[in-house]
Amino acid sequence: MKYIISIILIFNISVVNANEIFNLLKIPNLEIYNINTSNGLKYLYAENNFKIGLKKNISCDRLKKNELEKKYPIIEKNLNKYEADFLVKNNLKFIILCENLSVSSINTGGVPNILKRSLILDINFNLEHFERMIHHEFFHMIQAKHKRMFDEALWSKFNRTSFKYAECSTCSDRTDLSLYKNTDGFLTEYSKSIPSEDMAEIFSFLMINKELVEKKIENDLILKNKVNYLEKNLKLIDDNFVF
Amino acid sequence: MIKKIKSSLSEKILFIFLISLAVFTFGSFYLIKNKCLFVKELDLEKLKISDPKNLAIMDVECGKVAIELYPQVSPKSVERFKYFVDSGLYNNSAFYRVIENTLVQAGDLEFGYHYNINYFKIGSGKSKLGKLKSELSNDYEFKAGTVAMARGEFDTEDSEFFIILKDIPLYQGEYTPIGKVVFGLDALKKIKIGNKTDYVLRPDYIKEFQLLEN
Repeated sequence: MKYIISIILIFNISVVNANEIFNLLKIPNLEIYNINTSNGLKYLYAENNFKIGLKKNISCDRLKKNELEKKYPIIEKNLNKYEADFLVKNNLKFIILCENLSVSSINTGGVPNILKRSLILDINFNLEHFERMIHHEFFHMIQAKHKRMFDEALWSKFNRTSFKYAECSTCSDRTDLSLYKNTDGFLTEYSKSIPSEDMAEIFSFLMINKELVEKKIENDLILKNKVNYLEKNLKLIDDNFVF
Repeated sequence: MIKKIKSSLSEKILFIFLISLAVFTFGSFYLIKNKCLFVKELDLEKLKISDPKNLAIMDVECGKVAIELYPQVSPKSVERFKYFVDSGLYNNSAFYRVIENTLVQAGDLEFGYHYNINYFKIGSGKSKLGKLKSELSNDYEFKAGTVAMARGEFDTEDSEFFIILKDIPLYQGEYTPIGKVVFGLDALKKIKIGNKTDYVLRPDYIKEFQLLEN
């Protein structure tokens, strides 16, 4: 009987590359890149490909070291815009860097996880929007942590009554991340997908180029209301927060 | 008449070589089999004990391990840990998660006992005392030998604990530290490993765990 149980167990063992990082984050094949940062963020990178999630639907590939060295200063520069306190309040501590990140075979720039306080970033994301993507993904963590403050129903009311968001971000063809010339309540086409993406788009533009957004809202009342709503609630999370 | 045949020099060399090989083979086999060979024994008299009420002695396969507990760092967790040690609940508990030269974890009081180990559920067991709040310290450095409470999410600590076998600065502020190994780290390094699996199949166990003075 003992032998039968042993054989069953051997076939049921899930193989993992266990190390101290796996023990903490439940993501295999990670190595430390930099953990001594001014705002307490810990940067890790994929030394080998990994698949995570209940159905192993999140996958990412190992990094090329030279690519990491090129992109890391950009990532750090952007995330250094946040104070340690603000990061703690929004459950961000671990930045995981890898290539070709996808969720259920759909490519994505980042995967935030407020429970694990981690943000997985694809360092090969479209270079034109790369820096903005970092802030965009972090906003999803802010919103997930403070759901009531960023109420999607309330947000939708800022738009014209004739406008309707899509059912979900991936079931819409509104995917372009380029800035509209004439905004009319939305900064990009992707903003029109769902309320949370709309919020994340505005937040990311404010983090990258506040002056540009301020110019846009001079002639766009809908956008102005949205920006004010975001600013007011971010101040409620952390009084010291500034774009 | 039997003629005595003298062995040649090359035959003598071959004979000596074969004898040496046999000695080496048996010696190596003995060394490999006896994994505890070079582990030092605990001598309590040589150990500087500042507070015997906060010193726990854990008996594992390759010897005894002395752990100094830090109630000043994490009072609730140490109180619970001492209760489990003192009541003998950790005895026969499996080191079911062991990462080579990195950490050993034990203390599942529901599915991790020697006599009724459940490989499908090990690591998810609960004590009857409920969850504890994490007692994190941003100043406590996770140096080799640190003993800390294991957890899934924050504030879910219960009975499981782990001991790190090397410095892991990434754990600082992440886990509740409850003490430090002051003797016996080499005995812990000999515990059966399971690097490539979620748990160790047929693991080593805590033979006995007790407080020096209760």
